[in-house]
Amino acid sequence: MFRLVMAFTGWLQNTPLALAVGGSDWAYPYIQLTHFTGLSLWLGTSVAVDLRLLGLIKGTQKPDRLSDALFFLNWIGFGIAIIGGGLLFSISAQNYVLNAAFRTKLGVLLPLALVSHIVVQRKSHAWSQTPKPPVAAKLISSIELMLWLSVAAAAVSIPYF
Amino acid sequence: MNWQADDHAALFRFCERLEHVSWIAAVNNWVVSSVLIELAHYFGFFLLVGTIAAVDLRVLGIIGRRDTDDQLGKQLFPLMWTGLALAILSGFVMFAGQATLYYPNPVFRAKLLVIAFAISFGVVVQANLPKWNRMPSVSNGARLIALVSLLLWVAAILAAVEIPHLTYVP
Repeated sequence: MFRLVMAFTGWLQNTPLALAVGGSDWAYPYIQLTHFTGLSLWLGTSVAVDLRLLGLIKGTQKPDRLSDALFFLNWIGFGIAIIGGGLLFSISAQNYVLNAAFRTKLGVLLPLALVSHIVVQRKSHAWSQTPKPPVAAKLISSIELMLWLSVAAAAVSIPYF
Repeated sequence: MNWQADDHAALFRFCERLEHVSWIAAVNNWVVSSVLIELAHYFGFFLLVGTIAAVDLRVLGIIGRRDTDDQLGKQLFPLMWTGLALAILSGFVMFAGQATLYYPNPVFRAKLLVIAFAISFGVVVQANLPKWNRMPSVSNGARLIALVSLLLWVAAILAAVEIPHLTYVP
């Protein structure tokens, strides 16, 4: 498995695109910009719905209306974040997979966060049927929030591992 | 404004004193706290930019239906300003830890200037949104303001990532 991952990442960071971006003296900040802009759209919209379900954001319309209104922007943000993240990763793919913080971020925390996000999104209608969202809604919204915070914390910790 | 050399020198000396404030130095030198401060800064601006972008894109008609009952704005603006507060507080702590490097840095100064403009446009958007939501169709002036608001925040992120790229501030 290790050899397979090393082979793939070795190939990836030597593709023309990865070499061009990695060798460029101006491109890197724009790749970061792509990743952070995408994350802003993704997390801003995801967190807004979580906080609405938790009752920390008040509104007269039901939480599922907010979730529906932000749905497309949410997933467009995710797409932009993945494109930026993929490019960032490709520049030094082997270093990243050898980094414990990165592996934790992408291999453990991100999948969990994504699952919790999809649960929140899909359940938002059911959870909006009562004046106050049920306890399950608050629990899973809190979990989603904490997981995204953990993903970001792992990302920020990458330089230290 | 006519900055004299003395004013700059005085501010620079203030920056030196900031760097030596005990809790500022401590927070920035301990790995755990500096990671948490960075996390707060990132999360703060994610919330800030994500929410204002959602509002701006709606005004522009690029994504989503018009917010005719103001409900989207009402729910998102408190989150936007909370995100900004978080970003500013954490940003100040990070700035203070290396104030003498950041203060004279032209890319950092550009970032702050862009953010100042972006905040101003955010206030204009928030103040005018109810009026724009009631227009039969969104005016070109409104669209322009929303577009500039959006672009300024993207420019702020760009300025921020250019700081370590163009200048030496670790």
